[in-house]
Amino acid sequence: MKWFKQLKQLFSTKHDDSSTDPANLEDDRLDISEREHLVQSIRLEPSIEANLKALKKMIGPSWDIPIRPLLLGTHRVPAAVVIIEGFSDKNQVAELTQALTVELLNSPLRDTPAESLPEAIVGRLLQSSKIDYADTLDGLWRLLTGGNTVILVDGYNRAIGCSSEGAVYRAIEEPSSETVMRGPRDGFIESIAENMSLVRRRLRTPNLWSERFIVGSLTKTQVAMLYIKGLAHEELIEELRQRISRIRIDGILGAGQIEEFIEDQPASLFPLVFQTERPDRAASMLLEGRIAIMIDGTPFVLCVPTEFSMLLHAPDDYYEKVPSGTILGSLRYLAFWSSILIPGAYTATLTFHQELIPTELLIKIIASREGVPFPVAVEVFLMEFVFELLREAGLRLPKAIGSAVTIVGALILGDAAINAGLVSPPVVIVVALTALSSFSTPTYSFSLAARLSRFVFVILGAVLGLFGVQFGFLLLLMFLTSLRSFGYPYFSPFGPLILSNMKDVLYRTWWWDMIRRPFPVGSREPIRQPPGRKPRPGLEKEEVEKREARRSE
Amino acid sequence: MLFIIRSTVSIATLPVLTTGEAAQDAWASSLLVVPGTVLIVLLVGGLGIKFKEMTVVEYSAELLGRPLGAVVSSLFLLVFLHFAATDIRVYAEVLISGFTPKTPIPFIVGIVIALAVIASQLGIETIGRMADVLTPLFVLFIALGILGCLVTFDIQHLEPVLSRGSMPIISGALTPTALGAKYLTLAMLIPNTTKPSKALTYAVVSVLLSGVVLIAVATSTVAVLGADLSRNTVFPFFKALRSVRITQLIQRIEALAVISWGYGVFIDVSLLLYSGAKGLSQLLGLDDYRVLLLPLAVIWGFYTVESHDTLLELMHVYRPSTLIPFVTVMVFVPYIVLWIAYLIRVRRSHGESG
Repeated sequence: MKWFKQLKQLFSTKHDDSSTDPANLEDDRLDISEREHLVQSIRLEPSIEANLKALKKMIGPSWDIPIRPLLLGTHRVPAAVVIIEGFSDKNQVAELTQALTVELLNSPLRDTPAESLPEAIVGRLLQSSKIDYADTLDGLWRLLTGGNTVILVDGYNRAIGCSSEGAVYRAIEEPSSETVMRGPRDGFIESIAENMSLVRRRLRTPNLWSERFIVGSLTKTQVAMLYIKGLAHEELIEELRQRISRIRIDGILGAGQIEEFIEDQPASLFPLVFQTERPDRAASMLLEGRIAIMIDGTPFVLCVPTEFSMLLHAPDDYYEKVPSGTILGSLRYLAFWSSILIPGAYTATLTFHQELIPTELLIKIIASREGVPFPVAVEVFLMEFVFELLREAGLRLPKAIGSAVTIVGALILGDAAINAGLVSPPVVIVVALTALSSFSTPTYSFSLAARLSRFVFVILGAVLGLFGVQFGFLLLLMFLTSLRSFGYPYFSPFGPLILSNMKDVLYRTWWWDMIRRPFPVGSREPIRQPPGRKPRPGLEKEEVEKREARRSE
Repeated sequence: MLFIIRSTVSIATLPVLTTGEAAQDAWASSLLVVPGTVLIVLLVGGLGIKFKEMTVVEYSAELLGRPLGAVVSSLFLLVFLHFAATDIRVYAEVLISGFTPKTPIPFIVGIVIALAVIASQLGIETIGRMADVLTPLFVLFIALGILGCLVTFDIQHLEPVLSRGSMPIISGALTPTALGAKYLTLAMLIPNTTKPSKALTYAVVSVLLSGVVLIAVATSTVAVLGADLSRNTVFPFFKALRSVRITQLIQRIEALAVISWGYGVFIDVSLLLYSGAKGLSQLLGLDDYRVLLLPLAVIWGFYTVESHDTLLELMHVYRPSTLIPFVTVMVFVPYIVLWIAYLIRVRRSHGESG
């Protein structure tokens, strides 16, 4: 009858509210949703004995939740200290325990009667910076998972949580997926609190707001939504809030899951949500009026709404000189499109339009293809396939063996295939060129999209020639222009054409010239800074007047 | 919403690539085309912005009554179909004659129509954005082509200036001007723009811009090929580009023109299909034009393939002697009727109020 029960759950959200007895937790027949529901319905009681019993029934045989019984003060009021190991800082827990035992006995509070003891110790004894309370078993558990040290006192039907977070995380280090030459080297880590502080250290305005959600019925993952109040559009904030609170999954383990829940077009090959590991980039997104989404347990922060051009930006663009940033930026655009189009165009030209190639070059290519048993398309396809295989293998292998893959790939496959006359050298050049181009795409998931669509272009080029490549290009563009990210056009500064945004897209201009925030994301207050801030010699007019006035006095 | 400019620049420039009547004075006829086209735009758009919320199908029914309005609108729908069909056919002929001689025409036609159907399916917004993306590319490629022409530019081909009187110039201007009737799409698009009142300005600007492209193309074609050759070739601009050899490496720059033409045809044809489907759906009182796309596309495909047997027959469509009567009957006369109906209406309401 289990399936019937589950079916019933699918169609109705009503739960059997009859029992809130902790004793039921011992019932092995309870399924997970019933257990969760039961835990949520159990309220804490004045009797510490009952509370501890319920707690023990809830956690079962779990061994990482030590319960330390205590007797408080001269009246020997029964109490207990509970933590989850690894969530709290051991020293802080020890200090708290010491405060409750030794220091309490030495302090004037020691004779406090049991009824007023909890208020007294919270108000006058505990040194924690933050105290939270819980009324239910579920709330108590939430305090524990928040890294709090939970104190239960007999006769008091609430749990006291003293903040003592001390989970050990990886140190803040340079993110490996987005490296820069000049620019900050810190990256997000797996702790949402730490990440939050990394962003807040960069944006010290109190108007950096952060809303917290608990997502995942079992993982209870913290998800935070960051935005600058008054800069981000309210409709956008509301929309994102809706989309996040609509999630009802049991577990969130990474940014990708949230991404799938909030993106506009699930079938899109191109990422519709921007991911970054760099606090400086997240901060710059917030400054443009976008929203950042942090998820506990992952160093990736999502930013929405996303535009196509954001994915081709590298953080270095903003830390290097403007002319070089512009040139390198355009190089990247070129590289992106060539990584999609080159193999297809090569196939098409060699299959159908040999006359487009200058004669001498054509002779060279044909000569090198002498004896190759495959048509161009098959050749290109094979080599691209092998290359993708190499890349995937290199990614999955441990770093130490990874270099072996390169040797196998470059030496054995490349060289031997040419020597054996299976592929022609120009194809290897084409594949290498595309590979290099796709490596220069700064966002990994974006280059993935390019990699995959490349194969479509090879097929189109082989079947329809350059006409087919153009057909594919138009289809791709059509798809890109029809996409939206949170209602904002994805292909934005190009289609629809927004000339004022080009300042930051096709070329980069000096910061003193970036007077406007990008449209339409930052259109709530479009002006970023007053114009006329170009560096120049001499004093400002007002300063000169001030000094003259001072001199004449 | 500036997209009207961008989408129609390409429309207006397309005919240039196919015609070249006035020999060495082609530039002068191109100059004439601009005011002619502006006139058409004023004729079509002028009435359009009087009825900001309505397409031509809707307001012709309102002005002339349902039966007569339906006749007029179906004339326009036929114009959309006809222009779309001939455009695709010409593009297919160019591709086949220049690049893939063995490809059957229905193949290319089918693919272009498929693109247009997908674009219209995605909606007018996507077509507009595509126009935004493609028009700069379109202009860029043509500019590059003209730049290539400069190498073999022979200014003597342009002489003697205006020696043959004004008749050839005028007759050379007729066809491109008549093709300006494609601005009829304006009548379908105005309700979709965010600022309908500005649509007319944008459209006129687009005519001017395309006029610049037109003159540049016409002049460089003649300057490269010489008067006689450019008059007698079917696709003079291609011929001109093909004859350019800058170095050993850069020889076949007409590929640029074919690519850009492809972009132009795409925008043009998607707009025409969208307008046709939208108009027909309003005529039939349907809620959504999308259901009509596939049937329309099939009819349109057959029409494109079957209407003309050879390239020469196709080019006959573009002769002033065929095109001018066609455009007059299908566009000018209905629009003049519409205008008269509108003016009578205004006069009458004036009379009532005053």
